[in-house]
Amino acid sequence: MKVCMLTWEYPPRIVGGIARHCEGLAKALAKLGVDVDVVTLDFPGAPEYEEIDGVKVYRVRPEIGHPNFLTWVMLFNHFLEKKIAGTAERENYDLIHIHDWLVAPSGVAVKHFLKKPLIATIHSTENGRSGLHTPDSYTIDSWEWWTTYEASKVIVTSNSMKHEVCGHFHLPWEKVEMVPNGIEIEKFNIPVDRVAVRGRYGVSPNEKLILYVGRLVPQKGVEYLIQAVPMIASRYPNAKFIIVGEGWLRDYLESLAQSTGQRWRITFTGFVPDHEAIALMKSADALVIPSVYEPFGIVALEGMTAGVPVIASQVGGLAEIIEHDKTGVFIYPRNPESLAWGVDHVLSNPGHAEWLVKNAHEKVKEMFSWNVIAERTVEIYKSVLGE
Amino acid sequence: MVSSGSESSLPEEFRFLCMLHNIGATTPEHSFSIEEIAKWTSLETSVIRVHLRRLIEMGYVESTKVNETDKYHLTHSGIRKVLSLYS
Repeated sequence: MKVCMLTWEYPPRIVGGIARHCEGLAKALAKLGVDVDVVTLDFPGAPEYEEIDGVKVYRVRPEIGHPNFLTWVMLFNHFLEKKIAGTAERENYDLIHIHDWLVAPSGVAVKHFLKKPLIATIHSTENGRSGLHTPDSYTIDSWEWWTTYEASKVIVTSNSMKHEVCGHFHLPWEKVEMVPNGIEIEKFNIPVDRVAVRGRYGVSPNEKLILYVGRLVPQKGVEYLIQAVPMIASRYPNAKFIIVGEGWLRDYLESLAQSTGQRWRITFTGFVPDHEAIALMKSADALVIPSVYEPFGIVALEGMTAGVPVIASQVGGLAEIIEHDKTGVFIYPRNPESLAWGVDHVLSNPGHAEWLVKNAHEKVKEMFSWNVIAERTVEIYKSVLGE
Repeated sequence: MVSSGSESSLPEEFRFLCMLHNIGATTPEHSFSIEEIAKWTSLETSVIRVHLRRLIEMGYVESTKVNETDKYHLTHSGIRKVLSLYS
């Protein structure tokens, strides 16, 4: 089986969860014998073509730009489409698998010129991310609907997303398949010197390290973590906070941190490579995921695999990954008091925290290995191909 | 996330960073002079200079000299900053 996978981000072009999802899925599919070509956008320093773990990766540089976002999207899709026209001459693709609306214009065009079925994974929706308030957001929403209309099957990563997508785009329930995100467990099997890792960020071994990892954008709710810092610090005067990630909200969050009077406790690292994020998770006392909208929440799986107690908002996919007080701790979204309670619940009872971590690790191994997810994806491919 | 649709609610220098990214100024080989940026974005060169100074300070933009002219492009961190809006 030959699959052309289209995604606008693929490592080292990593922004959110899509790059990691596509990489994990493509590699696991290749292990199952599926021939996967990934066509994606370039990133400075990354080769135009490479083969990694059996996956062929083609990176495309759009030769024409435009300051307007939507115009730029249409332009880069033209260059993706042109690349696929070239690879399709050599490869007889059985199907096209696209990830999110950003590559839908090229994916839908390729579907029609190759006359092959289209599978679309919808990782999130414009309506869920930020609501529909502007002409651009209505256009994106329409593109998302069009993607689901053109696709033979739509894949989502959680049941909450299935409800959201079926409800918002009026799709038949049976057209949408739920296949969760996965995690490369082996990547986390690295020895970590906790003292050294903490030392790099000015956290001593006897201090409590509370970690956030993710984009710095409103849907992630990082402001509620920052608002909870004084409450947590009053109970744990030795608490330190590390906020890992990049995003347009960073300036605002840094000034919010300043306003708490506890800025010295909070470190903003910006983007860090995967191995450093894993080292931090393995060195932290708690991982907080304060999202207000989270279609899946891959960072929860990462924390559960790394062996750090996870404290997460009970929203979207997070509500399906975690079992309260068994594999993690739920908090109310948009609620700093609840967040502070969750952190205290974990820090005040190390034995219980250890039990949560053990349960979480077992659950990840059972349900979220890429091998299991790739097998399920192949079943969907086969159903679409009539095999 | 702020998606594309909310770009207008961004601080001015980030809207400018997005424009610089979207016109393709993402490597030293594809960097743009202030005059070129002005043509692409319809912004005054004085405004562009202010944005660039601030974005360079924040580590999101770098300049290179090409034939005695200063040209500007996004750093990796700048690219990730922009993409965080859109993903």
